[in-house]
Amino acid sequence: MKTTYKVIGPTAFDDHEPGEEFTAELDEDLEERALERGSIEVVRGTRKKKEEEE
Amino acid sequence: MPKRVAFKDKITVDATDLSNFARSVELSSEHERVDVSGFNPTGSNEYLAGTTEQSVTVEFYGAYGVAEVHAILYPLHKNRTTCSFKWLPDSTTAIGPTNPELRGNCQVLSYSPGSTRGEADTYEVQFTASDAAGLAFFTT
Repeated sequence: MKTTYKVIGPTAFDDHEPGEEFTAELDEDLEERALERGSIEVVRGTRKKKEEEE
Repeated sequence: MPKRVAFKDKITVDATDLSNFARSVELSSEHERVDVSGFNPTGSNEYLAGTTEQSVTVEFYGAYGVAEVHAILYPLHKNRTTCSFKWLPDSTTAIGPTNPELRGNCQVLSYSPGSTRGEADTYEVQFTASDAAGLAFFTT
């Protein structure tokens, strides 16, 4: 299931510029790292890791 | 692509664009030289290409903010994570035969930030190819 993210870091993520929203199905480990370091945030949808743990 | 002055390069690590935090990039790709020389009248050596060792070294500016250089690279090193690496010579032009993109999955096996008084905080990071696909240039 695809999730909508917003780039909140100072540089582009996955070819999306800071402030831009994008919808993607990111690899769950990449998603976790990017969320933890503040590159992106989830706008709509849920974190993949959390989905699996629940 | 004619001769160029490098200033539009694009460097992406773990899907994050770190171009503005980097000032040099250098690929190293080396096949082991295996000596298969036999007795011969000229005394010449004969070699075959053996295993391949590949890495890319990038000189980064030290930046310790959220989602900046240290926040991206240190966890990759600490956790022995394999991440994607990309280098495109010209970020303003599409990938193609005259603007090939280097891609591969790498690990940050060593990590050594530091600083010198009065100088720009920079340090080199080596990305070592970590799977069978290695580091290769793509034109599409």
